[in-house]
Amino acid sequence: MAQALSSRQRSRQNFETWAWFFMRISGLILFFLALVHMFIMHIENDVTQTTVAFVAKRWQNPWWRLFDWLLLSLGLLHGGNGLRVVIDDYVKRASSRTFLKATLYSVAAALFLLGTITILTFR
Amino acid sequence: MSKSSTIYKGKTGQWAFILHRVTGFLVFLFILLHIIDVSTLNDPTVYNAIHQLYGNIFLRLFEVGLLFALLYHALNGLRVIMIDLWPGVIKNEKALFQFMLSLAIVLTLVGGYFIVKPFFVGVH
Ligand code: HEM
Ligand code: HEM
Repeated sequence: MAQALSSRQRSRQNFETWAWFFMRISGLILFFLALVHMFIMHIENDVTQTTVAFVAKRWQNPWWRLFDWLLLSLGLLHGGNGLRVVIDDYVKRASSRTFLKATLYSVAAALFLLGTITILTFR
Repeated sequence: MSKSSTIYKGKTGQWAFILHRVTGFLVFLFILLHIIDVSTLNDPTVYNAIHQLYGNIFLRLFEVGLLFALLYHALNGLRVIMIDLWPGVIKNEKALFQFMLSLAIVLTLVGGYFIVKPFFVGVH
């Protein structure tokens, strides 16, 4: 059983263990963030009421900005890492895999920037 | 990492797993769009127009679907975490799945009522 692993394999394994752990922790946090967010936008208020004025009022409180920023970053990291695994599972060709993952990471990074800028720059 | 090492091939959990993937993927796609629609905040006319759209009946029905996807993914994710944490849970894994699925359906119906109602009777 105990075969010697190359250092590359070992770091790969460490990463997967870390990713596994991260999916659980971020999942638990998202459980509250995402469901509370849906509750606020649909039950407590109505979608047609979520206007600029509504957000301006909410975001006067920096904690709601932090809340949204956590939802943004954890959602993208958790979903992005999930999709990385899905790509590994179903895409057989190495070149397609690389291409799809590069696209995934670029889109996630771009939207992380866009979302962060939105939260920071909204007056 | 060997290929398909993360594809679950069990029996009971197989559907739970596939649905978990599909719902996770859908919510992720929605987030991508959603970050773009929220990013129009600094242009009130555009932003308000988009969020007014969210109130039409088709998007409301879509939101009910999104709520189900999120609820199912969240509750099943919790089930996966419980199985990982406590070895005993695996014995009741099937019952737990049925419980989580039922809970997701019930909460979707309750939430769906609140999401769709304003379309017919107006807000408050
Ligand atoms: C259709 C249902 C939804 C509506 C109407 C809605 C509405 C909103 C609104 C009005 C904002 C602006 C900020 C605020 O007031 O907090 C916002 C931000 C945000 N929402 Fe949603 N939301 C919905 C569903 C979701 C879901 C399911 C998720 C993810 C699980 C999500 C993730 C986010 C994130 C990450 C932000 C911050 C975006 C940014 O940084 O630019 N939302 N949402
Ligand atoms: C709301 C609370 C959430 C919980 C409790 C949760 C939990 C989990 C867990 C435990 C996994 C790993 C499954 C496994 O290893 O078999 C997972 C995977 C995944 N999650 Fe979530 N998650 C949540 C929210 C989200 C959100 C908001 C998104 C979308 C942005 C998302 C997208 C994904 C994706 C794409 C996967 C990969 C599916 C797979 O590998 O089969 N999740 N989630």
